[in-house]
Amino acid sequence: MRLTDHEKAMLNGDLGEITQQAMQALYDLSIFYDVEEFVEIVGCHDDSTVYAGEAQVAFAEMLAEKGAKFAVPTTTNACACDMNLWNRQKMDVETMSATRRIEAAHIKMGAVPIWSCAPYHVGTAPSFGQQVACAESNVICYYNSVIGARTNRYAGPLELLCAITARAPYFGLHVPENRRAQGLVKLGKDIKEEYFTDESIYNLVSYAFGSIVKDRVWALEGVPSKGMTNEILKQFSATASSSGGIALFHMIGITPEAQTLEQAFGGNKPRETVEIHLEDLEKAESLLTNPEVDELDAIVLGCPHASYNECVMVRDLFDKRKVASNTNFWLITPRSVVDRLKDSGVYEELIRSGVQVYSDGCILEYRCNNLGTRTMMSNSGKFDTYCFSMRGIQPVFGSMRECIESAVAGRVVKEAKPWRK
Amino acid sequence: MEKITVKAKYAVRGNVKAPVLWSNEPISFWGTVDPQSGLIRDNRHPNYMQNMSQKVFCFPTPKGSSGTGLIILEQIRTSCAPAGIINLRSDPVVLTGPIIANRFYNVKIPVVNLSEEDYMKLENAKEAEFYEDKDEITIYY
Repeated sequence: MRLTDHEKAMLNGDLGEITQQAMQALYDLSIFYDVEEFVEIVGCHDDSTVYAGEAQVAFAEMLAEKGAKFAVPTTTNACACDMNLWNRQKMDVETMSATRRIEAAHIKMGAVPIWSCAPYHVGTAPSFGQQVACAESNVICYYNSVIGARTNRYAGPLELLCAITARAPYFGLHVPENRRAQGLVKLGKDIKEEYFTDESIYNLVSYAFGSIVKDRVWALEGVPSKGMTNEILKQFSATASSSGGIALFHMIGITPEAQTLEQAFGGNKPRETVEIHLEDLEKAESLLTNPEVDELDAIVLGCPHASYNECVMVRDLFDKRKVASNTNFWLITPRSVVDRLKDSGVYEELIRSGVQVYSDGCILEYRCNNLGTRTMMSNSGKFDTYCFSMRGIQPVFGSMRECIESAVAGRVVKEAKPWRK
Repeated sequence: MEKITVKAKYAVRGNVKAPVLWSNEPISFWGTVDPQSGLIRDNRHPNYMQNMSQKVFCFPTPKGSSGTGLIILEQIRTSCAPAGIINLRSDPVVLTGPIIANRFYNVKIPVVNLSEEDYMKLENAKEAEFYEDKDEITIYY
């Protein structure tokens, strides 16, 4: 590898044992991918924050105690629970204690404590073209695809090592040529433009896209740019990186490196083209929904964390109506958004509608056994993908409007849709 | 026991021999694997309710959550990690646990990539063996 003097010093141990071990691990990775140099990064999103077990806590504490410091701004991902309202969430003491230890270790290393899986909603996202190291699959996908920043799929706690050294192996999606699309997914004629006024279709298109594309870089053609929002692109990023291993997608005419088909493919032709049809969307929804569920123990929005705008939409859709007494409605949003909701009075309106507003935590850490929850509805392809395997919860997928109507009715309310038989 | 030797590209090295658990389906460890037992809990995965603990776990590519690194580290702590990993293509997400285990804790979980043709030869294998100093693995039937 070609190494700078500073990188050699780090590898030699001149900057301490932890920096040396961090560089050695990154070096091993570089050798495996035949990488010739490191790239300097300007930011990191730290996903070693959701409590997954003692190994993770012990590793972060070991780094912090040995004096490790993040060399670049490093935002914290969601943790396991709301750090203030954990008791109301019926979170166990073990998880909360571990979360406080994670918090202390990461803050000691210099983390920016946003505690959110939607850092792009709270003003801490990088800019176009910047080199970063991110963990958390939806953030990786969003930063690469929607912003045009450059990161590979780093896993907790590898991103911590990048943050400590301000280095990443220069390969994969850090390199401009590797960011071009190789294949193309096209929407079939039976998926009509007017269907996209219902935002839930993006989750189904995304689920189908991820299933087809797996871990490759492909483009999607045919999605209308009218009405596109960052929240839709968030859902698309989260779902595509759940049904597949998508780290970068190009949406023709929408995302910054795909303003035209030619730009997305770097002037080349797609090596492969696949069409998706209504039946693929029907299949996607069937994999995200148990059709036998009628009564709902809970409805959750905020996977990934809801933006301020989404919280306002929830307030508007409730329109002063209340959550039915036989169910629960959870809304998870970053702690800084909770502050803004309190500033504007929207928080009070949500509470009056019976919405339980939480921050910091990942909804997939929901303690269904403590809460007696078997069935849940969400507008998130990611939540519905994982909630059975992680929590044993039977999922129902629906649009945000269907989620709110179901909350008011206390049972599943679904509208007729072209992809539903 | 019949055996064959195939070329392998190593990400993490080690002398390890263990039974094979094979599938041709991508997997996300986070959200799918129980880090206290090694059990695969996703009912959409062909290895549903099978245990990867102390086995050579073969899957073509990783997918899904980047929390996978933390799950593998916890599996190492609770002694239910795979003994080795064989992929067609490993991404940094799946390599994180084994590389950190090696550099920070001196625990060896070998990870290799095989060609598609050689990967399919593992489908009915009983055991696989990794090496510290050879760019190959041995497959036992």
